[in-house]
Amino acid sequence: MSARHSVVVRLAGESGEGVISSGDILTQAAARGGYYTQTFRTFPAEIKGGPCMYQFRLSDEPIWSHGQDVDLLVCFNQEAWDLNWDSLGPEGVILYDITEVVIPDDYLHRARPVRMEALAKEIGGSLRAKNMVAVGAVTGVIEFDTAPIEELVLRRYAHKEGVADANIAALHAGADEAADLKGRYPLVPPVEVEDDRMLISGNQAIAIGAIAAGVKYFAGYPITPASDILEWLSVRLPQVGGLTIQCEDEIASLASVLGASYAGAKAMTASSGPGISLMSELIGYAGTAEIPCVIVDAQRGGPSTGLPTKTEQSDLNHALYGGHGEAPRVVIAPVSVEDCFYATIDAFNYAEEYQVPVLLLTDQGLATRLEVIHRPETDEIELVQRKTSAGMAREDYKRYEYTPDSISPMGIPGEPNGMYVATGIEHNEYGHPGYTPEIHLGMQAKRLGKLEPLREVSRVATHGEAQPEDVAFIGFGSTFGPVREAVDRLRERGLSVGAFYPRVLGPFPVSRVEHFAARATRVIVPEVNYTGQLARLIRAETGIELESVAKCDGLPFTAEAIMDLVAQEVTA
Amino acid sequence: MSTRTPNDFKSELKPIWCPGCGDFGVLASLYRSMAHLDLDPSKTVIVSGIGCSSRLPHFSSTYGVHTLHGRPLPVAMGVKLANPDLTVIAVGGDGDGFAIGAGHFPHAARRNVDITYLVMDNEIYGLTKGQASPTSLFEQKAPSTPFGNPEDPLNPLAFAIASGASFVARGASFNTKALTELITQAVEHKGFSYIDAMSPCVVFNNTQESWKEKVTDVAPDHDVTDRVQAFDLALRGGFALGILYRQERTTQTERYQTILGKAKPSDLDVMLDGFSARKGAAIGKPA
Repeated sequence: MSARHSVVVRLAGESGEGVISSGDILTQAAARGGYYTQTFRTFPAEIKGGPCMYQFRLSDEPIWSHGQDVDLLVCFNQEAWDLNWDSLGPEGVILYDITEVVIPDDYLHRARPVRMEALAKEIGGSLRAKNMVAVGAVTGVIEFDTAPIEELVLRRYAHKEGVADANIAALHAGADEAADLKGRYPLVPPVEVEDDRMLISGNQAIAIGAIAAGVKYFAGYPITPASDILEWLSVRLPQVGGLTIQCEDEIASLASVLGASYAGAKAMTASSGPGISLMSELIGYAGTAEIPCVIVDAQRGGPSTGLPTKTEQSDLNHALYGGHGEAPRVVIAPVSVEDCFYATIDAFNYAEEYQVPVLLLTDQGLATRLEVIHRPETDEIELVQRKTSAGMAREDYKRYEYTPDSISPMGIPGEPNGMYVATGIEHNEYGHPGYTPEIHLGMQAKRLGKLEPLREVSRVATHGEAQPEDVAFIGFGSTFGPVREAVDRLRERGLSVGAFYPRVLGPFPVSRVEHFAARATRVIVPEVNYTGQLARLIRAETGIELESVAKCDGLPFTAEAIMDLVAQEVTA
Repeated sequence: MSTRTPNDFKSELKPIWCPGCGDFGVLASLYRSMAHLDLDPSKTVIVSGIGCSSRLPHFSSTYGVHTLHGRPLPVAMGVKLANPDLTVIAVGGDGDGFAIGAGHFPHAARRNVDITYLVMDNEIYGLTKGQASPTSLFEQKAPSTPFGNPEDPLNPLAFAIASGASFVARGASFNTKALTELITQAVEHKGFSYIDAMSPCVVFNNTQESWKEKVTDVAPDHDVTDRVQAFDLALRGGFALGILYRQERTTQTERYQTILGKAKPSDLDVMLDGFSARKGAAIGKPA
């Protein structure tokens, strides 16, 4: 077989069998070898039991999605086969546990048994090394250098005597299985192995982006799929003189973040839909009292408890409008793992500049997937600091002063002339309660008006034609990757296609979106939810005629699915 | 000697409370205490929730945060953790603290957040015109309990002691001299200090005369360091004014200072190296 530029591998089994850690270790080994990777994982909401799946795609070239047709499917048990067989590509091969799985006759010619359980028991005396046999089998089929894996295994189990050795033995044993498939998928080796590449998840990129932005206070409450941020910052933030605290609930988390920000610290919390719902009242408060803060929403399937471990983009409406009254906020949605880093810095900058809460929307897929990205240029990061009362005379100081740009100097405790009372009750320029028509009209105009410039200056993500004539894709967040790939492939076919991702969805960049879509025959808006929330937003804000493609199956779009949208007429 | 007077802490706004409201006495005691402690107004933050008594920050010429209903404690915690040099005083009413905000109270207490929490307890919802509160008495009649309150009242002092508050006291708005002294000691206390300030609502639940008759002082032989004795005294109810419990314990601020001391200093570049595809540590494990 000739060497390929891309291979898609899917591992499937029971939660608790080490499927996810197998995927992680293979991904990391590939990244060490210089490959680009994209992953997608899905697992049940329970700690043990239930089906889980880890898909990763490897390539010598940059890739933007986790792929659709699976080249190598590894089944740890029967259910894994039952749930995943239809993801196999036409040429895809199957590795399966010989004691657990029965493969239908039609597929037997491209399926090979692996003695996962038997070898694990033989070598390690238990089923624990089953996943390492599977990892070894994968390295046989796609010709992987096992040295980085051994190094990772040694490091991971350094504290447990004998465990590392057993795992490595299992790895080698696995590699010798399915001998006739050996080297079935040789990958084109990476041309140049750059040292500045990182393997990182969306949540980790947000956490380190917050460090880059100068966060000094983080408070959170455990919730899937956002807990990684709390855990990572619990280790890291104290290393740069900041604090991370696990609060009693999401309300206390955001409340304490607002207290810390009031006291002058850059502060952040991270949660998922249910936690964001609890924070709603405080988001309105932050907008009214004009206290900067960053709130990460790693969206999961909703509503209510919903699908805690599945992906969805259904909190857009809540992020934009959640809460009573009309309170200002900025909503930003990073489009890739790399962008999670930069969007977090943008989020802090917007929060500080406009003195507003900023909601940063990711989703389970983006938050938990691992991606190889280029190391950020740290010396190019520009940080914005809030306007304060420093240097002002006390008699001149008005916390909520009407200014030309509607941004008022914020007093910070310790500053002798900036004393004021932050309040969510309607107030005059001094922050004194007041409910006259003049005050309310004036303050609403100030608070909501100050964000208007952002419509024109917010950074956007684009790909392909700046003003496509055939198909214009408008979306938000993690659908950018597959759309980007689809745009490239469609352009290779001679179509005029482009993608425009606003990133900042509130306030919405109306004129720029209209300009982008002005010449397009078709405007397609893909999103992972049921009601087409972005499509509704675009319809409300612009005059664009569009085709809404909303799906909420708990899975991200693939590039192939986006391509199919162009081949067919979408009715929406 | 303090160079400041109580008047220095008065803001230009006059309290909006009804004539005769107990909260006037609490506010006066707070002004006096802040003057006695010679607090720097620019380094003092008064944090409140929502309710009649929660308007208090507006009447003080310090920094202030008038937060949401029930949320003064976590906001106050954030202020104090972000800048431990600040003196942080949370205030509010019994509804704010023990109904909607009750979920935060035990956590502030067990964490020993280094703040003072002053609750103006009138056993009624005043701002919404007289409904029963968590500290209203059994069978008390109110617009929301026309057949008499079917619930037993919550005991804030016992709640505080059980939750781990390291300073627990009861004061009364009509006894400003003693209340001033209690607030002073509470602010000076290292850790979470809780004062239940009996503060009658003369319009919707006028308990002033009966409370005045019933109050006593905590017995001179009461051992404030004995948690069991303090809990016993709190459970008996009654109207003993003074400090019930006081404990020396490391504060949340000190514990976080310890964490900061344990953390190995790092910077952004080192952290980015931890994710290096070529040399990074195992996934999910901080380098």
